[in-house]
This record gives sequence, structure tokens and C-alpha cells, in this order.
Amino acid sequence: ELPDGGARPSAAQFKQLVVSALRELHGEVGAALPVDVLTYEEKTLSAILRVISSGLVKLWSALTLLGFYQNRRCAFRVLQTSPFLLALSGNSREIVLD
Amino acid sequence: AHSRRYVLCEVVSEDPRCRQCIEDRAVGLAVRDAIGRLHGDYGLACCSISFTVKYLNAYTGAVLLRCRKDSYRLLCSALPFVRQLESRNQRYPCAINTLHVGGTIRTCQKFLIQYNRRQLLRLLQNCTNEEERRCIQKSLLSCSLTEEQSQSGDEEDDDGME
Repeated sequence: ELPDGGARPSAAQFKQLVVSALRELHGEVGAALPVDVLTYEEKTLSAILRVISSGLVKLWSALTLLGFYQNRRCAFRVLQTSPFLLALSGNSREIVLD
Repeated sequence: AHSRRYVLCEVVSEDPRCRQCIEDRAVGLAVRDAIGRLHGDYGLACCSISFTVKYLNAYTGAVLLRCRKDSYRLLCSALPFVRQLESRNQRYPCAINTLHVGGTIRTCQKFLIQYNRRQLLRLLQNCTNEEERRCIQKSLLSCSLTEEQSQSGDEEDDDGME
């Protein structure tokens, strides 16, 4: 979330932001954690990230504590995590079967 | 009470002036800086609980660090990343070798005594001239472990290192 109406980060800048969040909280070891940005939508500023399961705690904690993007206030909201990519495509409770 | 781990290491440097930087504040700052770079804010905060430089010997470069048992791995993995010591606006490149990790100061002291003995013997073998040889032989022969019951006896290195 970027509440001010400024320029939105590109996919590369988004990845850079994630890595720098890891670097701040978890150092070089954190920044070296292999994180992939599977999808990124600049319009909604939402993305799907992939990380090895042993790295979930480091990634989530780093994103939670990130407060600034280029000196602008921002916040990461984790909407859903799952070991399966398919599970992220929709809310399984609202599936309508015809 | 929380368990502690004592990490015994030695500071080595090609520059002999580095010895004057081997003091608790400089070494402590250098180690914490390395932990911060390698493990970030979380790692630094984790290791800083109960972190202290317990013993130092500027002549031999021996340093004894203390930390929590839960974070000694973060500390040990960061030691190779210490590249320089800075003190009184002077900085000199150096490296740190880990010698021993123990649960008490006593085990580390025992190890250090044995290690120093072996180092003395090694120096004796590497002597290039008679003069040095005689000097070292004299030191070795005059070494003895005195059974003193003093309070600070735990932290002293009982071998006669000049």
C-alpha cells in the first residue's frame, strides 16, 4: 500500500524493495534468500511472491517491518499464503459450482 | 538463568600496529558491526543480549566473547566477516579465527592454556637463530601452573607469555 499518490514502483523496483527489506531486517543472509516475484500488478500494487518454506518467517517479518519506499510511507499487507499456487487464485470458500 | 556460550577466538593481522587496537570496545564494536551486516537488525539485536568481550590478550591476540546459547551460531558465522579494527581514529585490517566454543569460561581457559603451549612449541621449532631459540626455551622452562585460589584466577592465562 502506498497511500500517497506518487509514482508506482515497476516490477524490478518492487523486487528491489523486497530484497532491501530482507537486507535491513536479516542482513546479507536475508538478502541472499531466493525470493521470486511470480506476478506483479502495478495498478493494484499486488504481487505473488515465492520463497522456500524455511524462509517464510524471514520474508514475512521483513515485509511487515518495512515502512518506507523512497522516503514515502508504505505498508505491506500479506493477504494469503499457501504452499500451492492454485490456492491463491481465489477464495475457496466463495467458489460457486455449477 | 539463561545459558551462555563463550567463544574463544584469535585476532590475526599482518600489520603489527593492529595490536594496539585489540581492546574490548574496539573488538566488541567490530564484531557487532559484522553481525549487523550479515544478519541485519534482527540478528544484531538477538546477539546483543548478553554480549560482551570477557577477556582479551593484546600480545597473543586471544579474545573471549560471551553470548546467549540461542544466538552463538549467528555470532560465530559473523566472525569471519570482521575485516578491520578501529580505535582512536586508526583502523587496521585484521582477521578473526575461531579457536573454541565452550559453555563456561573454565573450559575455554583450559583450551587456551593448551593452545598457547602448542603455539610456543611451534614457535620454538620455527626459530631461525640461536638467540630466539634460547629465549623461547627459557620461557617454556619457566612456565608453571600455579594453583592460586584468587577470584580473578579463572580468567588469567597461567602460561608465562611475555
